[in-house]
Amino acid sequence: MGVWTEAIAVARRILTELVRRRRSLVFWAVFPVAILLLNGAIVAERAQISLVDALEAAAPTALVGAALFFSCLGGTVSTLVAEREQQTLKRLFIAPLRGRSYVLGLTLAHGAIAVGQGLLIYGVAALFGATFRGSIPLGLLVLALAIAIYVGLGVILGTRFARRTEDANALIAAFGVPLLILGGTFLPSEFFPDSLLDLAQFNPIFHLNEAAIAVAATESDGDVLRSHLTVLLGFLAVILPVAALSYRQTVTLERRL
Amino acid sequence: MLTLDQVSKSFGDRAVLVDLSLRLEVGEVYGLLGANGAGKTTTINLICNLLRPDRGTITLGGKPISDATKGRIGIAPQENLLYKSLSCVENLRFFAAIYGVPRRDREGRIREALAAVNLVERADSPVETLSGGMQRRLNTAVAIVHRPDLLILDEPTTGLDLEARHEFWDLIRTLRSRGMTILLTTHLLDEAERLCQHIGILQRGKLLASGTLAELRQAVPAAEVATIETPDEAAAIARAEQLNWPTRHYGGQLAFWVPERLSLAELLAAFEGIAIDSIARHPVNLEHVYLELTRSQGTSP
Repeated sequence: MGVWTEAIAVARRILTELVRRRRSLVFWAVFPVAILLLNGAIVAERAQISLVDALEAAAPTALVGAALFFSCLGGTVSTLVAEREQQTLKRLFIAPLRGRSYVLGLTLAHGAIAVGQGLLIYGVAALFGATFRGSIPLGLLVLALAIAIYVGLGVILGTRFARRTEDANALIAAFGVPLLILGGTFLPSEFFPDSLLDLAQFNPIFHLNEAAIAVAATESDGDVLRSHLTVLLGFLAVILPVAALSYRQTVTLERRL
Repeated sequence: MLTLDQVSKSFGDRAVLVDLSLRLEVGEVYGLLGANGAGKTTTINLICNLLRPDRGTITLGGKPISDATKGRIGIAPQENLLYKSLSCVENLRFFAAIYGVPRRDREGRIREALAAVNLVERADSPVETLSGGMQRRLNTAVAIVHRPDLLILDEPTTGLDLEARHEFWDLIRTLRSRGMTILLTTHLLDEAERLCQHIGILQRGKLLASGTLAELRQAVPAAEVATIETPDEAAAIARAEQLNWPTRHYGGQLAFWVPERLSLAELLAAFEGIAIDSIARHPVNLEHVYLELTRSQGTSP
């Protein structure tokens, strides 16, 4: 059987579980919309621009910085931890399911949620008259990079550092929220002091946010966008093999009954 | 069907399996008996290619065990490894897909598996709403949905109440009647005695004995076992020695191997002159065999 068939089965199962539990889906819908509206209101007031312009500026970071961080990274960690807690991970290791099918299934499931969040955020922004003015193919490329990076990081964190639900929550609180702030999700990077801006160069969320802002701008600076995309591809090139290694180590450690 | 030939496995300095050889024929239920730590679960891990043996070979249908043979094995682990928020059908649909059941056959196989474990009426119920016995049956349905050549049941009735245990035994008989080959690990001797055509007794990684129940009974060369309650055990033991009846203690109870079938009156006559509170005759069963074989090691299941 093909990798895709297996991956689709994994993705369907994850999505069915999420729909059945609902709580995560409600959070993943409410949180980015709240960030969009709050950031939009703050930017409109402080920058003395219209709410429409402010929402257009806030939407990219609300999506790739806030929404996808929790759904794709947090969601992947939660899925792995839940599989480990109810021991279904063992059953998957007994089955002839390929590792790459499982990771692809995780990516498809969380990618589907990401697309839903994108539609929701831009749908809410559109209610206020805001539109996406940039290149849709480039926007989709940034979205795909964000999904791949977050799921990859989620696999690394979920397999190596989070054995229980409390571990996952602690990880997100201890590292995730500072990374979001340093990534310019809640506060534009223009406000950062130089020292933090230097530090932010090592944070993939910063480059995702900056790339998303550049893509969404009416007249984007091609060089700026290219440099952020190059860095993101570099991050992905490191994250994917580390994620594969982490997954393989988990299989070796946990695939006994 | 399944052959283990001189299989050994160690974890560090600790030998977990030593030269284990087993052979399962098509359509039989083979019971692997042993106390906790005897090596039953390690044996399953090896058969499922989750561990590799240090020495020896394992073949399924003549082919060496590998990741490619995983799809031919169905395993119902000790714990019910199921997605609790999904329904029975959703669990089966998922596992049917990852075990490679073709899409056109999937729904039919799911119905077949649900019918086999008698869960058709609860097909759409979330797993978390099922009783422990039902979850155990679904755990088995997941293991058979892809029609495996070999079904492994790892201590399937541990933790079940008596009624659920009997229901599960009926299920195993049904599966066997459909031609399925089953490896059953258990530490419940009556379970093995009721269900298995062949039985292997593992202790500390070594196979002490293997065969049919009739063959294993040879380990206790007696027609029957008599258990006695008496305030004067020493006298009863001395009398048994005179009669050349070996003496044993089963669970603290004094017992004798009686070489030929005797009536109760003949048995009482044998102990004439000794105060007897109660006396009972028992056919030689697997428990007697197991205790005899493991006696020198001082463990019990």
